[in-house]
Amino acid sequence: MRTSRIVVPILTVIALSSSVQTQSPPDFAGVYRPINAFGPAGGGRGARAGGPPAPAPGQPPPPPTRTAPLSDGSQGRAPTAPQLTPEYLAKWQAMSKARVAGSSENDNTAKCLPPGMPAMMNMAYGMEVMQTKDKITFFSELNDALRRVYLDGRKPTPAILDDPTYAGYSTGHWEGDTLVVDTVSLRDNTYIEGFTPHSDQMTIRERIRFVSPGILEDRIAVTDPKALVKPWETVKTYRKMTGPPEDQLREFACAEGIEHAR
Amino acid sequence: MRTRIILSIALLAALPLGDTRAYAHHSNVAFAVETVLTATGTVKEWQWSNPHTWLIVDVDDGKGGKVEWAMEGRAPGVLLRAGWSRSVLKPGDKVTVHYSPSKDGSKVGMIARVTMADGKILPNAPPGD
Repeated sequence: MRTSRIVVPILTVIALSSSVQTQSPPDFAGVYRPINAFGPAGGGRGARAGGPPAPAPGQPPPPPTRTAPLSDGSQGRAPTAPQLTPEYLAKWQAMSKARVAGSSENDNTAKCLPPGMPAMMNMAYGMEVMQTKDKITFFSELNDALRRVYLDGRKPTPAILDDPTYAGYSTGHWEGDTLVVDTVSLRDNTYIEGFTPHSDQMTIRERIRFVSPGILEDRIAVTDPKALVKPWETVKTYRKMTGPPEDQLREFACAEGIEHAR
Repeated sequence: MRTRIILSIALLAALPLGDTRAYAHHSNVAFAVETVLTATGTVKEWQWSNPHTWLIVDVDDGKGGKVEWAMEGRAPGVLLRAGWSRSVLKPGDKVTVHYSPSKDGSKVGMIARVTMADGKILPNAPPGD
């Protein structure tokens, strides 16, 4: 009696702790292609290629009607775009004017600079995820951009906060099957999306999980008390590639196209 | 002495004719992306390079002459998935290029699609992208 009263709780504790130990986080490792790289308003399926309709069998497709989604701001800001404070809206308007005139001066990727967070998570040319217990690394084929998410409990130090970068400094933890990531120490010369500007006070929280087998979702919330009227949220989804050649990213080597590097 | 000067001038004149011509790297905003024009001509050079590819074409000017155009394509990585390759186009190939013209009026375009002499179509995005 006495023995069983002691043994049963002990066994229960052992059973519980072993179930906690065996419940490992999901494995995100792999190569993914975006499902909505430019968001639902950005053009979507066929935006680049000139769009549907699909041709009749054996017939050539109709001539393309455009080369790329319009990205100069000439149609104003989408209702789903981040809501900017007057100071930052004025910055956006000045950049839009230059873009409509054909200037690439405000385009970081045209200068081979990293897209920066959170725009990097568009992953238009594909994404590779590498995962260990203590770190997840996200790699973007576009501009060979990289970000690391530390999972070992470390926190940004004053030195880190004093040294902003394009990808920022990301720490994460698991909440069940969801990876929760906080990103700080971001440079202010990147864009939230499109060419929406932000301040050096921008921070990002992401919730990343599989919503169904092979479909990874990143819910991104951007906070910036100087540039944004209210936090902005967006959702990116990616499909995991299952075999070659789609599960291979190609070298981007952007500097190859820079005049001084040739 | 005179020979040396003439030789130097000849060398200077020859410099821009190499294969290392560099074209400016543009953002999409440099082009009227919602206008698509058509040009037919002969491939002069196909540059399989990052961050953008370049198709140099001698375009028929409609008056029996040729005008050189530089057509900017997307990156090798995305074009590979759209059915292109480093060797898909060769000097001398006849092509039809659908392109968006540069906003500044220069003879530079952004490729929407290339149709090869045998009718094969090279789109600027993979299917469904």
